Amino acid sequence: MTFNRSDVGAGSIFVAIGLFFGLMTLYGLDIGTARRMGPGYFPIVLSGILIVFGIATILKGMSHPDVERGPLPWRGIPVLLSVPVLFGLLIRPLGIAPVLLITTFVTSFASRRMSLLAAVALSVGLTIFCILVFSIGLGLPLRVFGSAVEPWTRPIFGVR
Amino acid sequence: MKKLVASLSIAAALAVLPQFASAQTYPERTISMVVPFSAGGPTDTVARLVAEAMSRDLGQQVIVENVGGAGGTVGAARVAQAEADGYTLLLHHIGMATSATLYRNLTYNPLESFEYAGLVTEVPMTIIARPDFPAEDLQGLISYVKENADDVTYANAGIGAASHLCGMLFMSEIGTQLTTVPYQGTGPAMTDLLGGQVDFMCDQTTNTTSQIQAGAVKAYAVTSAERLEQLPDLPTAAEGGLASMQFGIWHGLYAPAGTDAAIVDRLSQSLKVALKDPNVIERFAALATSPEPEENATPDALKAKVESEIARWKPLIEAAGVYAD
Amino acid sequence: MDLVSNLYLGLSIALQPHNLMFCFLGCLLGTLVGVLPGIGPTATIAMLLPITLGLDPATSLIMLAGIYYGAQYGGSTTAILINLPGESSSAVTAIDGYQMAKQGRAGIALATAALGSFFAGTVATVILALFAPPLAKAALNFGSPEYFSLMVLGLICAIALAHGSILKATAMIVIGLLFGLVGADLYSGAQRFTFGIPQLSDELNFVAVAVGIFGIAEILRNLQSETDRDVMVKKVANLWPSGEDFRRMAAPVVRGTALGSILGVLPGGGAILASFASYTVEKRLSRTPEEFGRGAIEGVAGPESANNAGAQTSFIPMLTLGIPANPVMALMIGAMIIQGIVPGPNVVNQNPDLFWGIIASMWAGNLMLVLLNLPLIGLWVRLLTIPYYLLFPAIMAFAAIGIYSINSNPYDLYTLSLFGALGYALVRFGCEPAPLLLGFVLGPMLEEHLRRAMIISKGDPSVFLTRPISATLLVMSLVVLAIVLMPSVRKKREEVFVEED
Repeated sequence: MTFNRSDVGAGSIFVAIGLFFGLMTLYGLDIGTARRMGPGYFPIVLSGILIVFGIATILKGMSHPDVERGPLPWRGIPVLLSVPVLFGLLIRPLGIAPVLLITTFVTSFASRRMSLLAAVALSVGLTIFCILVFSIGLGLPLRVFGSAVEPWTRPIFGVR
Repeated sequence: MKKLVASLSIAAALAVLPQFASAQTYPERTISMVVPFSAGGPTDTVARLVAEAMSRDLGQQVIVENVGGAGGTVGAARVAQAEADGYTLLLHHIGMATSATLYRNLTYNPLESFEYAGLVTEVPMTIIARPDFPAEDLQGLISYVKENADDVTYANAGIGAASHLCGMLFMSEIGTQLTTVPYQGTGPAMTDLLGGQVDFMCDQTTNTTSQIQAGAVKAYAVTSAERLEQLPDLPTAAEGGLASMQFGIWHGLYAPAGTDAAIVDRLSQSLKVALKDPNVIERFAALATSPEPEENATPDALKAKVESEIARWKPLIEAAGVYAD
Repeated sequence: MDLVSNLYLGLSIALQPHNLMFCFLGCLLGTLVGVLPGIGPTATIAMLLPITLGLDPATSLIMLAGIYYGAQYGGSTTAILINLPGESSSAVTAIDGYQMAKQGRAGIALATAALGSFFAGTVATVILALFAPPLAKAALNFGSPEYFSLMVLGLICAIALAHGSILKATAMIVIGLLFGLVGADLYSGAQRFTFGIPQLSDELNFVAVAVGIFGIAEILRNLQSETDRDVMVKKVANLWPSGEDFRRMAAPVVRGTALGSILGVLPGGGAILASFASYTVEKRLSRTPEEFGRGAIEGVAGPESANNAGAQTSFIPMLTLGIPANPVMALMIGAMIIQGIVPGPNVVNQNPDLFWGIIASMWAGNLMLVLLNLPLIGLWVRLLTIPYYLLFPAIMAFAAIGIYSINSNPYDLYTLSLFGALGYALVRFGCEPAPLLLGFVLGPMLEEHLRRAMIISKGDPSVFLTRPISATLLVMSLVVLAIVLMPSVRKKREEVFVEED
């Protein structure tokens, strides 16, 4: 049996999101009445609509032929989705300079065209550029070196 | 190589004796003043004016950092957990005291997690209504509101906002519950008041003075002890017969608990200098407020204020049964 | 006659050499922060507020205003070149602008955006001067029922504008609406979908959501085809629009300007609604609607003019009522207060030099932006020749710094990852990201106004029909919905959809 995997995939995501919000609402939020709507009124209506649309999309996909899609970027997905998390976890303890070095280096390997040398050069160059533009030029309140590395960088770079 | 070894040993020495080194030479780099609200609001404005004046006194930049969220508790929690080195400060308003009751699971304790530097300013509140509201004075407002309790609507800017606190106090004083209509901030609430969509509200002079002066809204009372220079015709709540409606949105400067006493003292001194700065006085006047006198810009005065205000608002909030989490 | 003397007063202020200089400085800074994805005008103005203390009030506000509309220009540059809308209003520009760039028409798209914005800015400045006080009064008549109906119309237009399946477009809007509700409930204070994390109790960060579903998803899409083709444009054809291009952009620019000028006055979603509405209108009026989403110049010209006009007229409630229409306007009010000027109805009488000086400077600023941007187009386009594997790490770094610096909140970065994943999955399954973003922006407002309208009317739903403006808007929504669902239109959509697969 052939079915349209795009429609079935999208429909399943709709149903999943609908169920997630719907169940969170049912188990924790007051729905209230139309006059005095509670915090759960709007979400429960929306989740219901979303689940119905999701099922409709799945049913529609069952009766349509599948189409060809490109290959998945198996390196790109884990790298690109983890880099912001890494940035968020490390920015406060390490400060902007070490974080940019690390995250840019990691990001580089999402592409198969990147060589080790190019990745190192890009990380260092981009880090210096960003510190000049954002920290010194625009004066964003970002610490160049966070408290975890500051005692070691202070004698070399001074207080930043 | 020698240089590297030398730097590393200095680094090690610094790591061992950070407190000693920092209290002697404080401040030696940029100080971050956290404002737990978004940029552009009244608290942010107060912070920026004070930070600018303190920068000049301390000889180091004091940068305002906006860490908004959850009625100011996210920014306060950030500072409570920050290093107690005097480089992360907090400028917070009355919410420091009310959030102790409004939020039942705070990650910090307003009475234990901070060192107090001093009070900054106290902005009074005004009670105003839509331009065609029938009542003429505060007593008229009270009796009209009591007679039409089912129909009158009170606007506020969300739970924990100055306008919410004032409304809670007002309803408790007159013993009548009204329909409250919350807004996403004072701006939209004021729009609906001017357009006659809601009946009345009570908000900081920062937001209301120009509308009152222009006659765009009806004003009934100011909650300060004396009449304001900017609004000489507006009676105080006490004059209008509601003596207990006396309060303002006070602002204080804090550092994380454990900050060296010498540093806190230096900050308090710097705050006193900032509050005497002619520019700060002039700009505060435009906000229809004034800097706290010198004796209030002290750790003890702020500590006393936080304690007394927690005690004042706790029963009111608990009676209203409104919590922000 | 008053208008002439007022404008003369304004020009005499705006054209003073030091004011011109700061206006230029503001435009330049604004363009720069607009081009760097993530860092918006809000953060920049907030950081520059203390610096303006030393300037006189008119000069400082002229400079801050320059940053604001400069950033609108710069924001469309990144939207067109690398599909990264730094601001909600440039999200629409990205749809067709980026497609044009892929076809080697980046220069033309940028020129269209610049010229359209200049025209819109000029007209909106005149409107601002002519109608500021009456328009502000009209905005006061908009209560919650009117806002609710307006947003319903906006959402229905968004469904109409989506190419492909109506089913999926509607579902995407609903997803956006639901994610827009994350955070503390305004009415009860209840935490919704936050898992008890206080950092989530304000709404999810808009820039993080937008960069996630547009930016990260786009990078992943480019990496997916890295092996079989070079994703970036190699040859960049002519930079200047042809006579044919000019003919096609003229009417959309005029219509976009009109829409933007009107909707910009409304507080809240004015500017973004304007660009979405303009896109819908152009697509409906076009004889070749199938080109939309594939590099139609009308899809850049209309929304760009609309958002620039809206940006300009959003000064109206701020200058005349002292009420901010958006966060940037809130900052401008902060700047006025710092300067010792109390914003509100009195500004126009007590500080006429300030009021008219700002208005006149906007026109001067728009002219400067064109002069600044047109020569730069060649430079921006050359950016596209940087190999993609060197470009995307830089995009990621700028996006991360920009998002973090808005609120110093690491959770905003986790949001970025989440929406990158969701956006990529949905786009791969043939869903369009734009409706999700619109739903996300309008979700909280839609709910807020619905609930407020019901509270004030004491639970009587007929308010939406008994108030004339609200009723008109709802009737318009019904008409649009009827057109979309008409069998002939639906058939045409389905054909386009099949082609696309």
